[in-house]
Amino acid sequence: MNRLKLIVLSCFLLPFFTWADTAPPCENDLECIEIGQWDLGIALGYGIRSNPLKDFDDIPIYMVPTFAYYGESWYFDNGNLGYTLTEQESYTINLATSFSTDSAYFQRWDPSNIFLAGGSTFDSSSVANNNIGLFTRGVQEPTIGDLEKRRFTYLGGLDAFIYTRVGIINFSLAHDMLNVHQGTEAQLKWIYNLPVQDWNFELQLKLDWKSEEIVDYYYGVRESESPYWNQAFKSKSALNAGIELTSTYVMTQHWDLLFLARYTRIADAIAESPLLNEEYTSTLYIGSSYRF
Amino acid sequence: MQISQIIASGFLLLSFSVSSSEQLIADETEKFTAELSLAPEFCITSDEQLTCELTVKLEWKNQIPKPICILSDYDNMVRWCSESAEVNSFSLDISTTEDIQFVMIDKATHETLAGVKLKVTPTAGPKVRRRYRNPWSLF
Repeated sequence: MNRLKLIVLSCFLLPFFTWADTAPPCENDLECIEIGQWDLGIALGYGIRSNPLKDFDDIPIYMVPTFAYYGESWYFDNGNLGYTLTEQESYTINLATSFSTDSAYFQRWDPSNIFLAGGSTFDSSSVANNNIGLFTRGVQEPTIGDLEKRRFTYLGGLDAFIYTRVGIINFSLAHDMLNVHQGTEAQLKWIYNLPVQDWNFELQLKLDWKSEEIVDYYYGVRESESPYWNQAFKSKSALNAGIELTSTYVMTQHWDLLFLARYTRIADAIAESPLLNEEYTSTLYIGSSYRF
Repeated sequence: MQISQIIASGFLLLSFSVSSSEQLIADETEKFTAELSLAPEFCITSDEQLTCELTVKLEWKNQIPKPICILSDYDNMVRWCSESAEVNSFSLDISTTEDIQFVMIDKATHETLAGVKLKVTPTAGPKVRRRYRNPWSLF
């Protein structure tokens, strides 16, 4: 287990010591939303999301929208649909959909990237046609041909939140709903919001477990792509660890400054795939946002 | 508990209920002697309109008609007195953000006869609930 995973796990233990002590909700605008009203916003600025795939460009970010609608029980939040089974002062249990970011590395117009305007070239065929040293490990390792499509899918499952004085614990368990890879994903997050006058800092530590089916579908090598790597790389379940910071500064009623930093340490089980040449992915963004 | 104690307790309860009934009758009599009413009694403010601007009408009824005075904690009308016993209403333009208490007193004796309050109530705030994702989770 690497150092980041240990730090993340240690932080998850902290809120359990203050289990009974619930934080008051809605201390800032980011934590709560008005029922029956669309929350729309757009962020304009510059950022980049690194792409851990070999020969796939990093993803520039100029513009990102946010759109959410919460009813009494149903909600729609940035592409995710959910139904609240129970909401108490100290915990919430939802049925919720989600989508993983794995397919986004392969397709420019993946729903995760669709609004990330930029000139990124998601041209996997260029990898196949450019056999000189691409997708090779040392001189002897065979190249990988055209990549088959890795499709986007929706996951559906349970999403639980526990609210404590020292942050929110979020656990989610979701399964592929569109029969794309038939995999399961589980996430454990610790979310801590720190409002300081006009600033708000949200720190998030995350463990993200992906089943063997997911790893195989996105990062495994198909026989048509490379018979050698199809045999040589054996997929197994993986545990990524990540840290995220989202900070906002309120300038006016509608305008905020926005700074985001995300870092995910990719599990060895994925990083060992011949499709990758990075064992991490990161996102940096600075800009301003307008909330309608 | 002995029988004598039970009987004593019964008398005690009886006397209490009798005195309560007498008090009720007295209250009703008193209420009837002087009544002060206000229309409207409530003013609801909104985020856009925080101040209540309206005309209220005070009306009173005394068993024995007599000149009265109206006192209030509204700065623009601390005291108003009727000229005669026949007057039984009074209208007032109000601009306030807070409740106003009106008290009717006997003009001659200054005895407090009745009171009424204008309640200023803000509209209920928007209903909110927890949001489960950071608004910028699409990044």
